[in-house]
Amino acid sequence: MTVSLKVTRRYAHPPETVFDAWLTPGIAAKFLFATPTGTMVKAEIDPRVGGAFLFVDRRDGQDVEHVGAFLEIDRPRRLVFSFGVPAFSAEMTTVALDIAPTADGCELTLTHEGVLEDWAEKTKGGWTMILDALDAAL
Amino acid sequence: MLDETLTALADPTRRAILARLAQGEARVTELAQPFEISLNSVSKHIRMLERAKLVRRRVAGREHFLSFDPQPLAAAEAWIAGQKALWAWRLDQLDAVLKETP
Repeated sequence: MTVSLKVTRRYAHPPETVFDAWLTPGIAAKFLFATPTGTMVKAEIDPRVGGAFLFVDRRDGQDVEHVGAFLEIDRPRRLVFSFGVPAFSAEMTTVALDIAPTADGCELTLTHEGVLEDWAEKTKGGWTMILDALDAAL
Repeated sequence: MLDETLTALADPTRRAILARLAQGEARVTELAQPFEISLNSVSKHIRMLERAKLVRRRVAGREHFLSFDPQPLAAAEAWIAGQKALWAWRLDQLDAVLKETP
C-alpha cells in the first residue's frame, strides 16, 4: 500500500533562487539528502528532462545512494523527478515541487507519490528536514 | 506507469507500430498493412499502446486516426538514466578500491 505525502514551506527568497538550488550541485549537496552526521561524497546533477542525479551520503562508513532523474523542468514553477534509495527499496517514486510566488518570497509544495505506508512518517520527517536545510543553504 | 510503458515496448510489432507513428498520424488499416498478422491482432497491440498512453486516438466521422505520444517514455528514460548514474559511481568506487590495493 502506497500513499502520497505533501509538505509545504515558505521562503523569503524569490522562486528562481529556491528552484535553482535543487539543480545546483554546490547548493543541493548542502541540503538535499544530507544528514547532520553524514558526509556528502557525491553530488551529481544532469539538469535536463531525462537527466539523472546522484547524491551519496557517507553515514558511519556506509554509502547511502539517492538516485533519480528529472521528468519535468519548468523554471521556476515546477520540478518533477523520479527518486529512489536502492539501499532501502528497488522501487522508484515520484517527487513534484510546485513553487508559487508570495508577497515576500515564495511557497514550495512538495508532493511525494508512491511512498510505502510504513515509511510515510519517516519520509515526511526527512522532507521537512530537507526543506528546513534548504532555507539554511540559501 | 513504468510497468505499462515497458510492457508496451516489450514486443517487436508494437515497437514497429510506434516507429511508423513517429513519422505521423495513421489509420488503423494503414498501420496493419505491413504486418503479416490479422487486423484483429494489430488492434490488440494498438489497445495495449493506448493503455500505456503511448498512442492517442482521434475519431473523425467513421475514421480513427492514431498518433504517437512519447511523453510516457520520459519515465523509462529516467529509470535507465538513474541506473547508469548509480553504476558509473559504483564502478568509480571499485576503481578507487583497486588502486588502493597493491
